[in-house]
Amino acid sequence: MIISEKLCNDITVISIKGTIDAKTAPELKKFDSASAADSPVVIDLSDVDFLDSSGLGALVGIARIKRDHGGNVTLACMNNKVRKVFEITQVYKLFDIYDDVEAATLNAVKK
Amino acid sequence: MTTMMTLPADIRYVRLASLAALKIAEIFTECINSKTGNEDFCHAFELAVSEAFTNSVLHAEPCEIEKTITISYCSNSHNLTTTVSDTNPPFAIVTPSLNISSYPEQGYGLFMIHQLMDTVSYTREDGFNRISMTKQYHMKEGNNP
Amino acid sequence: MKALIIIKEQDYTWIREVLPHVHPLLVPICNKPFAEFLIDFSILAGCEAIRFVSDGPLSDVEHYCNDGGRWGTAVSYSSIQSTDELQQVINKNQRYCSDEKIIVISGLIFIHYNKQKDYKKLFAALPEGEILSCNCGSLSLSGAPLEGQKAIVSDVALSLTGLDSINVYYRLSMEVLGYASSPYVLPGYSNEAYVSIGSNVIITKGAEIIKPVIIGNNVQILSGSVIGPDAVIGNNVIVDRDSTVSASIVMDNTYIGEHLAVTNRIATENILIEPESGASMAMEDPHLLTGIKKIRSAETIIQSLVHGLMALILISLQLIPFLLLSPILTLQGKWKWYNNTSYTTISGKNLTLTTATLERNGLISTLAGALSLDRFPLLFRVLSGQLSIIGGGTVVTNSNPVTDLRSAPSRIRAGVFSYAEAEDWPLTGGDSAIVERYYAVHGNPFQDIIMTVKALFNRILEKNTP
Repeated sequence: MIISEKLCNDITVISIKGTIDAKTAPELKKFDSASAADSPVVIDLSDVDFLDSSGLGALVGIARIKRDHGGNVTLACMNNKVRKVFEITQVYKLFDIYDDVEAATLNAVKK
Repeated sequence: MTTMMTLPADIRYVRLASLAALKIAEIFTECINSKTGNEDFCHAFELAVSEAFTNSVLHAEPCEIEKTITISYCSNSHNLTTTVSDTNPPFAIVTPSLNISSYPEQGYGLFMIHQLMDTVSYTREDGFNRISMTKQYHMKEGNNP
Repeated sequence: MKALIIIKEQDYTWIREVLPHVHPLLVPICNKPFAEFLIDFSILAGCEAIRFVSDGPLSDVEHYCNDGGRWGTAVSYSSIQSTDELQQVINKNQRYCSDEKIIVISGLIFIHYNKQKDYKKLFAALPEGEILSCNCGSLSLSGAPLEGQKAIVSDVALSLTGLDSINVYYRLSMEVLGYASSPYVLPGYSNEAYVSIGSNVIITKGAEIIKPVIIGNNVQILSGSVIGPDAVIGNNVIVDRDSTVSASIVMDNTYIGEHLAVTNRIATENILIEPESGASMAMEDPHLLTGIKKIRSAETIIQSLVHGLMALILISLQLIPFLLLSPILTLQGKWKWYNNTSYTTISGKNLTLTTATLERNGLISTLAGALSLDRFPLLFRVLSGQLSIIGGGTVVTNSNPVTDLRSAPSRIRAGVFSYAEAEDWPLTGGDSAIVERYYAVHGNPFQDIIMTVKALFNRILEKNTP
């Protein structure tokens, strides 16, 4: 799994490439974003080809920490496989999910 | 058809286990329906095996002897069954429920297995925990003429 | 052009309450899922892609519609929050919408269209904005009209019905049913007006069909039944003998029993709904069991004690007659003993049981049969806990495969006597299976005493032992 970070419309976009499972989820949890704790973040999942409950838990954990500090996490560009995992567990209710990174960053700016 | 693979009980092998499940499910669906595979069906196995394998690894007691996890596949013309076996201590399998509003980071695995698969059963035999998961393959029906 | 179908959970809460067994978007209208009507309309309007968007689960819809290949279009799915307004929904689907013209169907609305008409040019020429609306939702357009084309909203020969109650659903179904030549593509074969019949439909002699009627797949209509007028029969339905279904909807997987009259109702599984008032009634047939729960250990102990006591009483009553009569019958050749391996669900293992057959063609053999002396050896198995005094029949493993029995509910205990004997039903077949399962759920130790006495009494009247 490769995690990279960039800025788009002044919003931090964390791009994840590869698989998020029990092996790689701890790396995601430990990832130290350059963004401030209370600032919004968009996680780009367009290059994530597989995500299981460990990956889901990692994303939920990141969201919880962000929201505890007044920030927010928006998800963008899920493929069908990843979307189904969110749907089965109903975790989609915890996130704003966009199909476009730029639209997600614009929304984060507005909020 | 029956096939079996044994892997070390190490989290580094979880992706191998899930990819193997995906491929076997794809082969199965192509045998049943030569026209197209079924993505949902195959993805269900990829996910379920990933979850079950992860559970087995995480619940293993640390010991000096290298433990293994066995994943077997068995099919007939209607369904595919995968069984994940390990030598961990027995555990009580309960029907899981989720309260997502509390932002849980864990507990999704068994819940997902039950949602994805048609039948899930747990047995303890001869010192092995065995979780069997079966999914029926439904041929897609078209609209009535 | 693309379509965005936005349906929120709050729009279809009433469907979940009234028709809990079907996803609200898949609720059938004349045997065609509601979502398919939306897909058909979107395709008629010139949409190359359709996206279902909801704040609720869409997995059932996705399982049914898949990727839309069946309709030659691309169907996709997306999640939103319940608080998202239309613009926010479009923002969340920005990549899907891109610069295309989007038909937005918002809310649980039925669009009355006609498959014969061409809506492509019309929608291509309409300006951005709301086209039609009703109490439950709206049909609107996002994106400018194509260059050189112009149309106005009043050109649109469409109407909407908001699906907000079971009564509206019922009236809509009757309306759709009532077309001689339907403006919609409906499932089934239609050789004549007002009638559509699916595949694998059995209409037995003496059944009557009065149009308008639509019948789904895998339906049995037994003799003497009258279907219609104004009847919608779903898939996997059985309408038993001498019943009538008129001005009603019988939904999938429903059984209509004998001699029933279903009029102005919606029947779904075991629930009967009156559309106008919304009142519903659940019907329970105690012989139709959804599952057999594990009995508690205290009940098992009491049951074992009662059965053991009955076994002791029978042993004490039968001992002397058995010792006197069995040697005589063995010598006469009327009493034949067999060792059979049978399966019992108490232990989940096989048992070797010594059973006897008896020809009742003489005074002594008839007397032995009437006293059930052939069952005497099995009584000791009750004392050892391997059998019940009364339960399901034992099945010999070496004559028939036991795979079906191994999946039998664990509460059906094999017995010396069977419930089928007590009820004087055939000992094998579906009827005995029904009786066994009924008493597995509804039985109790006291009832077992009564059933044992009944079984003993019925055996007195038998001609030959089974």
